[in-house]
Amino acid sequence: MLFADLFFLFLFLPLCLTAYFSSKNVKWRNLVLIVFSLVFYAWGEPFYVLLLILSVVINYLLGRVIGSPSASQTKKKAAVLGAVITDLALLGVFKYSGFLVENLNLILPVDLPVPAIRLPIGISFYTFQAISYVVDVYWERTEMQKSFWKFLLYISMFPQLIAGPIVRYTDIAAEIDERHASVDDIYAGMIRVICGLAKKVVIANSLSTVVEGIFAGPMTLLAAWTGAAVFALQVYFDFSGYSDFAIGLGRIFGFHFNENFNYPFVSTTIGEFWQRWHISLGSFFRDYLLMIPIFGKRRGYLNLFIVWFCTGLWHGASWNFILWGVYFGLFILAESLIGKKKLKRVPRPLMHIYTKLVLIVGFGIFYFEDIGALGTFFGGLVGVGGLYNKLTMNVIVNNCFLIAAAILLSLPVLSYLRRKLPAESRTLVICESVCCVVLLFLSATMLVNATNNPFLYFRW
Amino acid sequence: MTREAVIEKLNEIFRDVFDDESIEVTDEMTAEDIEDWDSLTHLTMISEVESAFGMRFKMKDISTMKNVGEMIAIICASTN
Repeated sequence: MLFADLFFLFLFLPLCLTAYFSSKNVKWRNLVLIVFSLVFYAWGEPFYVLLLILSVVINYLLGRVIGSPSASQTKKKAAVLGAVITDLALLGVFKYSGFLVENLNLILPVDLPVPAIRLPIGISFYTFQAISYVVDVYWERTEMQKSFWKFLLYISMFPQLIAGPIVRYTDIAAEIDERHASVDDIYAGMIRVICGLAKKVVIANSLSTVVEGIFAGPMTLLAAWTGAAVFALQVYFDFSGYSDFAIGLGRIFGFHFNENFNYPFVSTTIGEFWQRWHISLGSFFRDYLLMIPIFGKRRGYLNLFIVWFCTGLWHGASWNFILWGVYFGLFILAESLIGKKKLKRVPRPLMHIYTKLVLIVGFGIFYFEDIGALGTFFGGLVGVGGLYNKLTMNVIVNNCFLIAAAILLSLPVLSYLRRKLPAESRTLVICESVCCVVLLFLSATMLVNATNNPFLYFRW
Repeated sequence: MTREAVIEKLNEIFRDVFDDESIEVTDEMTAEDIEDWDSLTHLTMISEVESAFGMRFKMKDISTMKNVGEMIAIICASTN
C-alpha cells in the first residue's frame, strides 16, 4: 500500500486513527500500530511480509544476546557480526543477486541463470534500521529491547516502513514505551501529512510528466539541462513529500522522527547538500560505515570511496547509481581537500552556480539507468544533440509556472514568511487550516484523475 | 603519558589537520567549534591521532565520543 493512494487516505488511515485513538493505553495502541503496519505491508507484499517478520525475529533474538549482561564479549561480538551479516545477506540476495550475476556473466566466461527476484518494497529501509539497532546495542548506546512486540513495532511501523526516513532505535526507544500526542502534536502532524501529500501528488507527479515530456524529445543541450534539473525537483518533492508524510503521521501517533530533508537546494557545496538531503541515510553511513577500518590499520580515502560507492549502490542495483554515488563522493573529497575556509572566500553566487550544475548533472546520472541513454545525456549536456528544439521549448513554456513554483517552494520561502508573522496568531492558524483543506481536496481530486503517480522507490 | 602531554600533541595534530594555527583544544570542544571539521577531516584526524600515540580507537569509541575531552580520556587510558 502507498500513501498517495485514495484507498489508503480515505479508508485505511481513518480506520487506523479511529482504532488507535479509541485504544486506552500505550500497550493497545502499540498493538493497533503493529496490526495496521503488517496489513499495510502485506497489502502490497503478501509473501514478503514473512521476510520482514523473519528479519525482525533474527535481529530481535541476536539483539537479546548482544544486550545480555551475562554474555561474554566474544559472544556479543559474534552475535553482532551474525546479525549484520544476515541483514546484509538478505539485502544482497533480494536486491543485488540479479545485478551481481549479470555482471559475473559479463566478466567471466560463464552463463549463469539470472535469478528473477523481485525487490521486496522497503527492504533497504528496514534492514538499515535493524542494523543500526544491533550495532547501537553492541556499542552500548542503548539497552536491548526485551519485548519482541515493541521491536516488531520499531521495524514495521508503517509511516516510515516503505520510503524512510531511516529511524534510529535510540531516537524512539522511549516513545515506544510511553508517548503522548498533544493537540498541538496532532494538529502539526496533520498539517505535515497534508503538505507531504500535496508535495507528492500536486507537484512531484506533475513535474514527472514534464520530465517525461522533455526527455521524450531529442537530447539537445536545453533538453539535457532542463530535463535533469526538473527531475531533481521532482525527486525532491516526491521524496521529501514522503518524508513529511512519515514524520507527520509519526507526530500524530506521538513519535518524533528526525528531519530527513532541510531545503537541500540552498546548499553552496555538495558536502552541505548531503547534510540537507536524505539526512537519515547520510548519517547512517557516517556513523556505521565511514569510520570502520576496513582494509589495514589506517582509515582513509578508501573509506570515503566505499561510503559513496555504497550510497550509490543503496539507491539501486545498477551501474548508473554507483556512478552517481562515486560522482558525489569525488566532489565531496575535492571540497574537503580544499577546505571550508578557502571555499568560503569564493563569492557565494559562484558557489551556488557550481553546486547547482553538479547537482543537475548528478540527477541526470540518477535518471538514466541505461548506460547508452546516459551516454546520449552526457552528449546532450555539451551540445552534441543540438542546442534546442521546438518540442522541448513547448513543454518548458507550457509548464513554466509549475517549474517556477516548484523552484520557489523548494527554497525556504514559506518558512521565512512564517517566521515574519506572529507565532500565535489566530489568523495564521485559520489560513493554515484553510490551505490544508484546499490542498487535501486538490490532492484527492488529482489522485482520482491520476494518470501519472509513480512510486520512485521500488528500487530502494 | 601525562594529560598535558596528550593535549600538547593533540594541539599539533588539530592545527595541522584542520589547517588553523590558532586551535587550542579544550575538553568541551566538538566539531561545531572548528570550521574545517567535517566527516572526512575527522577520519584524517582519527588516523593521525592513532599513529601519533601508537594506539587504536575502537569503533565504539569513535562513534560514541562526544567531545575532545572524551577523546583525551580514551588516549590517556590506552597509553598508560
